[in-house]
Amino acid sequence: VTGTATYFYAVTRPLPPDRRPALRGVGGTPVRWVHDGGLAGLVSTVDLTEYGEEALAAHLEDLAWLERTAREHDEVVQAGARLTTTLPLRLATICTDDDSARDRLRRLGDRALALLDRLDGREEWGVKLFATAATAPVPETAGAASGTAYLQRRRQQMVQRDVAADTAVRAADEVYTRLAGVAVDARRHRPQDQRLTGAPLPMVLNAAFLVDRDRVDDFRAAVAEFAAARPPDSIALTGPWPPYSFAALEES
Amino acid sequence: VTGLPGRPEAATLADVLERVLDKGLVIAGDIRINLLDIELLTIKIRLLVASVDKAREMGIDWWEHDPTLSVGQRDLAEENRALRSRVAELESSNGSASDGSKTGTRSAEKRAT
Repeated sequence: VTGTATYFYAVTRPLPPDRRPALRGVGGTPVRWVHDGGLAGLVSTVDLTEYGEEALAAHLEDLAWLERTAREHDEVVQAGARLTTTLPLRLATICTDDDSARDRLRRLGDRALALLDRLDGREEWGVKLFATAATAPVPETAGAASGTAYLQRRRQQMVQRDVAADTAVRAADEVYTRLAGVAVDARRHRPQDQRLTGAPLPMVLNAAFLVDRDRVDDFRAAVAEFAAARPPDSIALTGPWPPYSFAALEES
Repeated sequence: VTGLPGRPEAATLADVLERVLDKGLVIAGDIRINLLDIELLTIKIRLLVASVDKAREMGIDWWEHDPTLSVGQRDLAEENRALRSRVAELESSNGSASDGSKTGTRSAEKRAT
């Protein structure tokens, strides 16, 4: 496969040329703006030898490539979000050429403009909550007569697990509800698997909040309040993010 | 949380991937890639992509998968065997296995089903 294609990062309202800084996209390609339907698209030209269907399928299997590309994609989206309200597109949205990308913009039209209106002056914040020490150690009882003690200890451990699970679910609900009260909108994502987080304890809440910029201080104060009442490292705040979790639009 | 409470942390790879792969505006491009068909995603990224497993979208099922909190099915079966032989041992040597032993064994077996 030879030739090029148009990699599509994000959708914004049109900006005057003097407000469009030079940006680099995936593989260091220069980012351009294309326009239609009252919208602007951030795109760059990519080589089909790397971004054609087959090449892409192979590259996406390569975690190093995937990480690099995901971060480059995110950097363009973040740069857009620093300039103006930005709708992030999913990774590897690729059109044959700029005309095809403009056609996408035309079809998005008013629906995207309405979504941009809704997201104006707001940013996404991520909050992850980790379980706290799940089971207090149950004392070991040594000796020959410990058969019954052993079984009782096992039973106690199981009860403690159930209690720990209940406590974690309640804590997750409490944090989510409280923070959602400060936010404009909220989403609960699936907690990240412990094998990915590498954290000593499981994640019990992985949530995204859409927060008005003038309420970000309140939001962070609410997070800090929970953090102060919990063991260190059991709550993590990330952001501000472009509104990845709130950019959903029905396909038409 | 490192440093001040409520202070944002650097985004991890998992944070970035779950957003760029599973969130954001979906526009059908001309190059069609089903991100969820990819083998690596099946193995690694699938773990964090909510849409793969709508049934557990709310995701409060972590203790089922976490070996430190819940013994897996296989471990549990093994543990049941160990418990039974231990109870048998106690009963034969002592002749008076306590109710606690039986309850313990039964509750362990119940969890396995």
